[in-house]
Amino acid sequence: MLTRCGDDLFSIAVESPLEAQALATQLGNTGIGLEVIPGIDTVVVRFDAARQDGESVSRAIAASIAAGIEPLQASESLLEIPVVYGGEYGPDLDALCEETGLSTEDIIALHTGSVFHVDMVGFTPGFAFIGGLDDRLRVPRRKEPRLRVEAGSVGIADGRTGLYAMASPGGWTLIGRTPYTLFDAHADRPFVLRPGMRVRFKAISADEFGA
Amino acid sequence: MTITVIKPGLLSTIQSRPRIGLRHQGIPASGAADPLSLALANRLVGNVWDAPALEVALLGPTLRFERECGFAITGAVAAISLNGNVVEPHATLHASAGDELVVGAAEIGARVYIAFAGGLAAEEILGSTSTNLQAGFGGLQGRALQKGDELAVNYASAPELITPDDFRMPVSSSWAVRACAASETDQLDADSLEYLFNTNWTVDRRADRMGLRLAGAKLTVSSDGRMPSAGVIPGTIQCPEDGAPYVLSVDAGTVGGYPRIAQVARADRHLLGQLRPGDHVRLLRREPDEAVEALHAKLAYWREWLPDIDEVLL
Repeated sequence: MLTRCGDDLFSIAVESPLEAQALATQLGNTGIGLEVIPGIDTVVVRFDAARQDGESVSRAIAASIAAGIEPLQASESLLEIPVVYGGEYGPDLDALCEETGLSTEDIIALHTGSVFHVDMVGFTPGFAFIGGLDDRLRVPRRKEPRLRVEAGSVGIADGRTGLYAMASPGGWTLIGRTPYTLFDAHADRPFVLRPGMRVRFKAISADEFGA
Repeated sequence: MTITVIKPGLLSTIQSRPRIGLRHQGIPASGAADPLSLALANRLVGNVWDAPALEVALLGPTLRFERECGFAITGAVAAISLNGNVVEPHATLHASAGDELVVGAAEIGARVYIAFAGGLAAEEILGSTSTNLQAGFGGLQGRALQKGDELAVNYASAPELITPDDFRMPVSSSWAVRACAASETDQLDADSLEYLFNTNWTVDRRADRMGLRLAGAKLTVSSDGRMPSAGVIPGTIQCPEDGAPYVLSVDAGTVGGYPRIAQVARADRHLLGQLRPGDHVRLLRREPDEAVEALHAKLAYWREWLPDIDEVLL
């Protein structure tokens, strides 16, 4: 479903983050607009309303969808992300135990025990939405977001893990932090995590954090 | 070094063009919050419209020129002096070595732009020299000016120009901004939809390069107020849980989890950079076709003085 939402925007409803990424890649490759932004269940296309006619853009998007959405190639590689859980690194872990009735060990086991996939990158540079979290760890976003969440923070909300590539305000329940640099504007490839990538979390000690 | 920062002002950053086409990686636009005023300032010193310049918010800086330099000032209305003598905005100005420029508090409007002949030297990252304060890149080490900073100018001789009266972007404390319905506008109840386009909103204290919170009526949405994160751009108006519309600006995150209840028309997004706390603003509802028409009209008007206006108001 395609909705015009402004003079230079369309929002397209899709079924899943994977489909959003696939459609966004497909539309991006056709050079259809200025921005193609995949979300969790949407793709937003911003076009140049001074040079492009909205009707034509709409038809081109519809034609691309009708031709079939080419699934993205599943990533073979698996990235292991070290995380210090709890304490000053994961200040909400104790509250999460209370909320879920799980022990710290249970939570770490659930979080490190599966291979997850990156659903989406966005919000701030390199912020990764990582899907597939166990239902027992499903909690909503915090009512009062923090004004500052440190870079590398690992949060959970709405069935996903969020990785803060840089310090920013944020409303996720913080369970740990990784020493990995996830975004470096000066690097050839500024982003470590890309949509579709598979990741697994590994518990490390606070001593190992700075090592 | 060409310019020494004696006082940095409240929030002075080097800004240029936005970063476009990178939102899928989480890279926001950055760039001048009022790109029209940036272009007008650069025009007066013979620069390309997006040469790196200073954007100063609410309270301007004090700068000392270490060698002669052409410069120009546009945007918000503020008292400006060079060595204690009042100087005018919207005209090419010339400083000699040792001259001190004082830009006072903005009286009307929020942001003053200071362009220098040849443009400021700035770090180009991901296709633009604009400062991204949140991620800390671009501009001057990715941060706002501090006391003692030294700015380098890429020298060029400046022309002698004055902005014609017809092209002096008017700043005000009472604004009208055209906006279209967006993806989740239908989640507003009937009263809220009425309020959205008929309230004389007041710009809240929370007004910066991330966005502007509007006060004046409480809107309610039919959903629980949360939705899966979806793409947003500058000018997207969200309805957060407190029911106060939040208009995203140039530094806003690339996706958001609140209903998108309206979208400021491309033609009027540049105005958002001049809205300051306490200003009044009305949202004028337009159909997309009408907003496109307004865009063409505005571009046609400005093209005479700013040939690159299509890029400026992109």
